[in-house]
Amino acid sequence: MIFRAVEDADLIARVRKGDVEAYNALVSRWEKRVFNYLLRLTASADDALDLSQDAFLKAYQNIRKLDDPARFGPWLYRIAHNEAYSLFRKRRPETALEDVGAERSPAPGFSMDLSLAVTAALDRLNPEQREAVVLKVYEGFKFEEMAEILGAPVSTVKSRLYTALGLLKAELAPVGTRGKLQ
Amino acid sequence: MIHPADSHPGEALQDYVFDELPHGEREAIEQHVAACSECALELDRLRMTTAALRTLPDREIPQRIAFVSDKVFEPSWFHRFWNSGAQLGFASACLLAGAMVVSAWHFAAGKTTEVRTVVQAAPQGQIVAQADINAAVAKAVAQVRDEDMQLIQAAEKKRDAEYRDQMIAISDNFTVLRNRLSMSYTRLASSEMTGAGAGQ
Repeated sequence: MIFRAVEDADLIARVRKGDVEAYNALVSRWEKRVFNYLLRLTASADDALDLSQDAFLKAYQNIRKLDDPARFGPWLYRIAHNEAYSLFRKRRPETALEDVGAERSPAPGFSMDLSLAVTAALDRLNPEQREAVVLKVYEGFKFEEMAEILGAPVSTVKSRLYTALGLLKAELAPVGTRGKLQ
Repeated sequence: MIHPADSHPGEALQDYVFDELPHGEREAIEQHVAACSECALELDRLRMTTAALRTLPDREIPQRIAFVSDKVFEPSWFHRFWNSGAQLGFASACLLAGAMVVSAWHFAAGKTTEVRTVVQAAPQGQIVAQADINAAVAKAVAQVRDEDMQLIQAAEKKRDAEYRDQMIAISDNFTVLRNRLSMSYTRLASSEMTGAGAGQ
């Protein structure tokens, strides 16, 4: 992880000197993660791709404002988060992100029941809880990084995540229902 | 923070699952869980939940994102100059020129010709040296780019392999956890039945 951060910092230094190819290298490292983060937020591959492009463009335009190049990841996710919420506010100002689960498809590779159960359980979370789960479980960010991305205190981030985890646990590992998730 | 068997760790158990506890506190949780069947069961449920969530894999991006050079976003000539490493040469040249001016001012007029000769000779040598420097820099940049590309490709291959291994491990862990959870429930049920039988 440290080695990776040093490499990102090196690419960022080159981008700041006007090297577009260095930025493309940076994009190729992060695009899949950012796309999947946005996909889990929006449940739409088209929206996720558009938002990813917007986020990377905005990051390029503002890369001189990034104080610590080693924290490029959380900074980029913060931009992606803002882009997603901006889109939701434009579309449905009062109920942004509430019904985004409609287009989710179960994952290949594991049993259909398990994929459907996980997908359905995630869809039952509210948007803030779902995003906390995505950033922690799927993206592997630390609480402090999540707080930076979400613009919220660590205590709030933890509260959202653990409330979500309680709900997911009741769905995915319920007490007394053995072998249900096949 | 110590968690004796009669005091459950609460939120710290979740912190433990997400690897957000310092080493000392991790050990305390492990000791507590080893002695507390209720927390051991809770830990299994938390692990099973996160393992189930991780069975949803990442999807490939449908279209790669790439940028081309655009005048609108390119830095100005001054930024490029200042960030290119030329500032050191520029500063050196300024210092040298300053030193020469000061020297010329201090020395007698008869020595001015000698100083001028030095100053005039410098650009000829600089032109040759600059061409060599440019060629060397271009070569070094190309070499660094090649190395970067190789590193990136190797890292991507390694990451893909790790991801595949991870998915297999998650699948295995999930099965193990499910079996453990089933066994825990069976033990719990049989102990409850034994307790009820003893009560009657």
